[in-house]
Amino acid sequence: MRKLARLVAAVLALPLALTGCGSGDDSNDSSKPTEVSYWLWDSNQLPAYQACADAFHTANPNITVKISQYGWADYWSSLTTNLVSGSAPDVFTNHLNYYPQFAGKRQILPIDDLVKADGVKTDAYAPGLADLWVGNDGKRYGLPKDFDTVAIFYNKGMLADAGITEDQMKTLTWNPTDGGTYEKTIAHLTVDKNGKRGDEPGFDKKNVKVYGLGLDDGNGAGVGQQMWSMYALSTGWQYTDKNPWGTKFQYNDPRFQQTIGWWRSLIDKGYMPSLAIARSGTSVNDAFGAGRYALSTNGSWMINTYYGYKDIKVGTAPTPVGPSGKRATIYNGLADSIYAGTKHKDQAWKWVKYLASADCQKTVGDKAVVFPAIPDALSIAEQKFAAKGIDISAFTVQIHDHTTSLYPITDHASEISAVMGPAMDAVLAFKADPSSLSKSNDEVNALFK
Amino acid sequence: MTSITANTKGPRSRRRRRGGDLRVAVLFLAPATIGFLVFYLWPTLRTFYLSFTDYSLLAPPEWVGVDNYRRLAQDAQFWNALKVTVEYVVINIGVQTVVSLGMAVLMHRLTRSTLIRGVLLLPYLVANVVVAMVWYTMLDAQLGIVNQALEWLGVDAVAFFGETSTAIPTIALVNVWRHMGYTALLIFAGLQAIPPTMYEAAAIDGASEPKIFRRITLPLLRPVLVLVLVLTIIGSFQIFDTVAVTTRGGPINATRVIYYYIYEQAFQQFNFGYAAAVCVALFAILATVALMQLRLLRAGDSDLD
Amino acid sequence: MVSIQQTLNATPVLRMPASRRKRVNWQRVVAWTVLMLLILVTLFPFYWMLRIALSDNRALSANASSLLPADLTFGAFKRVLGVSSLEEAAAQGGSGAKISFWRYLANSVLTSTLITVCQVFFSAMAAYAFARLRWAGREKVFFLFLTALMVPPVFTALPNFVTVKELGLLNTYAGIVLPSLLMTPFAVFFLRQFFLGISREVEEAAILDGAGHVRIFLRVILPMSAAPIATLSLLVYIGAWNEYFWPLLVGQDESVRVLTVALGIFRSQTPQSGPDWAGLMAATLLAALPVIGLFLVFGRRIVNSIQFSGLK
Repeated sequence: MRKLARLVAAVLALPLALTGCGSGDDSNDSSKPTEVSYWLWDSNQLPAYQACADAFHTANPNITVKISQYGWADYWSSLTTNLVSGSAPDVFTNHLNYYPQFAGKRQILPIDDLVKADGVKTDAYAPGLADLWVGNDGKRYGLPKDFDTVAIFYNKGMLADAGITEDQMKTLTWNPTDGGTYEKTIAHLTVDKNGKRGDEPGFDKKNVKVYGLGLDDGNGAGVGQQMWSMYALSTGWQYTDKNPWGTKFQYNDPRFQQTIGWWRSLIDKGYMPSLAIARSGTSVNDAFGAGRYALSTNGSWMINTYYGYKDIKVGTAPTPVGPSGKRATIYNGLADSIYAGTKHKDQAWKWVKYLASADCQKTVGDKAVVFPAIPDALSIAEQKFAAKGIDISAFTVQIHDHTTSLYPITDHASEISAVMGPAMDAVLAFKADPSSLSKSNDEVNALFK
Repeated sequence: MTSITANTKGPRSRRRRRGGDLRVAVLFLAPATIGFLVFYLWPTLRTFYLSFTDYSLLAPPEWVGVDNYRRLAQDAQFWNALKVTVEYVVINIGVQTVVSLGMAVLMHRLTRSTLIRGVLLLPYLVANVVVAMVWYTMLDAQLGIVNQALEWLGVDAVAFFGETSTAIPTIALVNVWRHMGYTALLIFAGLQAIPPTMYEAAAIDGASEPKIFRRITLPLLRPVLVLVLVLTIIGSFQIFDTVAVTTRGGPINATRVIYYYIYEQAFQQFNFGYAAAVCVALFAILATVALMQLRLLRAGDSDLD
Repeated sequence: MVSIQQTLNATPVLRMPASRRKRVNWQRVVAWTVLMLLILVTLFPFYWMLRIALSDNRALSANASSLLPADLTFGAFKRVLGVSSLEEAAAQGGSGAKISFWRYLANSVLTSTLITVCQVFFSAMAAYAFARLRWAGREKVFFLFLTALMVPPVFTALPNFVTVKELGLLNTYAGIVLPSLLMTPFAVFFLRQFFLGISREVEEAAILDGAGHVRIFLRVILPMSAAPIATLSLLVYIGAWNEYFWPLLVGQDESVRVLTVALGIFRSQTPQSGPDWAGLMAATLLAALPVIGLFLVFGRRIVNSIQFSGLK
């Protein structure tokens, strides 16, 4: 009966909890032993951050960091459930697609005062990264922990067979009309079942053994980070009227639509697999690893995966120079956010500050899994990658050359992908023309009214 | 505790005749009812309430009347999701029922082997998500073993999950694979309840196997089939996992089934109020289907009324 | 209606159905061929899982068309059991997350057993009230219970999570088992159908002996329904064993983490990367083993006894 009473009480208390009115004591006294909970999604990074947590605990014996790891597929629904019920982790790894929503709903803490009070320098990070985490309201919601860019992974054996040198790969040019030397390279790397290359007469585009360029299995939707953004951005096109916090998307721009038109023409020419093939069960990287693709554009977070395949030798080249005379890549990164309902605000901030510090980022760099946001830590990562035989300059050259573009940060990110995902699919499947994206653009822009 | 109270009461038979067994029934139903109220009814009522609100999960719900339902009526995505789901259910249930029925009859007429029945139940032991992932790799157009086999046979590769036209049938068949043995066992149990004498008589009359199936097996199996259908159809409408780990609604909108749509609205776009309205609509549809099926089941339902 | 005797006899005495014909019959040959094909289709994906589990994750892609494991290794099983070093795991494309397999196994056994025992017993009580007792509104209440079958898990998860949290049961065994402890509509429905079929006379005889409902339920109805209860228990057990999202929500803590949640780390960890295929398959096979074991132990009884004798 007491159990029943408690249940009834719980049920009655539910609306209260759902609106986040539950009260809690703010035990901010930093001398008492406290536990700060921390969530991340990548198990490959877990050992690195556990090492950070251990070092942090040694420096702050009163604070223990408890790390929980959820796979990407479950991370956001678990986090949402916990946010709604007021039991979210004190600190969690945040993503650009989600944080505007969380900030807008006051679920994460602005940290400007803390940053100022402790004199944390936001220019300590690779340029531009810190700006990603300043919200629409002008407040800061995170400190950068890592960054990523896009480059081309190539199969060295196939390059050699085709007589293309690795230096040639570094000087490719591209334009949306004839594809430039980039398309010529892709064509030459494409081989049909009879051994004919894509640029040879008699090439059978219906029976291709190796596609010059891979097509991603994931849906790039309205961003196309590792799918098409490096082409579109190199025409001088931008996603929005301003970034971050644009309110007008520009998918109706002819430069964008031409780029998409050229991109899908590769499917028609037999140089790139059809959407159906790309979506039928294997990731773009696994197909690359199986020798089905000669080139594959992908992000720096995939380096260890691409270089890990047995039986193939892999190299990387920067994305091609476009009509604007420059290369382009999206420049993106993660940060850690503090839950607005945390009961250990001071301790959580200490941990966030530590995560964003050179100490922790050097520890992470040492594991060579991601690119840390602090330049010194990045050079450690660079050395560690080099020790594994991996040259990451194809990814970093664009930062030195200032040819990167920030990831488009706007409100309504998931609604935008709900519109653009199917729309881009339809274009790639040749069920709609690139000009149909103008209509999608109207739908997207209507979200901001 | 309850046994003492029940056992020390007066003559039961007389009490039953007068007021029915309501008091005993309440005792017997108490635990299940608590579970039902707290973990089923309450979430349902809450969903119903939220369907009349604008609720983003992270801010308190705001009452908006029937706005969500108005939007629902005009939402092409919703109708598409419904269409895709029905397509899935028809293929899934159609094939599964036929295959399972065939399997059950084959087992019944051919063998008593526990091993074979155990083997056929194996797929049910593997979680949905893993089943989906295994078939996803096996059916890949370029690297999947099934397409390799097709190639050896001289057939062109098929992008099962990748084509808009084949994606839903593929997902439906993958789930048939997981559930066919389980469903077959349920039907098999029904077959075992058919008196063997009926088959003996038919055999003496020289009836052919197809005829035995039509004249004896099928009619006597009807109640079991209806029960199995009630359970499997409702389950089939809840297709979600397979889509979530394979096609994620694509290509285009070919596999954006209703549950996936609900999930996207609720947890990705934070339109929880609207998602709740979709839920209520789906609930109404399922309740109608179940009611119709139960009508069919009701004939000779109970010996108590 | 099928008599109870037949049900009781079904387990020990298994008689072949009548058509045991001596001469070779082409129909039977075709039938056996079809059955064997079905078995092949059922088993092949299991072979494929085993093949992947015995492969080196990083060699899988290059050997996609081979029917044999790629670079045969037990590395994936070692990763799952948590006995491989970080370096070993990384070299084969696994993650460095640590796993206490036996601990999670114990948690899975405990929660699944608890759920199965309680859910089946309480559902049986409810089924008894729906099938064997007369009371006003019985059919309506039963239909209400049935509608619970149609409540989507997406919508129960959130309020149930809040309820469990308010009870202070996050990261406890109680929190993991509670929502499925007291009933599921399926279990009630299933058992009610069976209880309906039990002959009235047996019950009347018990009543004449002065037995109350509790005793009839415990001493007559339950023993007579041993077969379907065993069957239901197996199904509930499999369901509880495979449950993933709920224990992930309420039981992330190491001390109560169940196997499925722990093995989730072999699924993809970032939006773009693929999973540790070999690890995932090894994990799936290992997690299925206890249930297969259970099946082998109780298999004959259960498989032979899935009965709907109550239906006409």
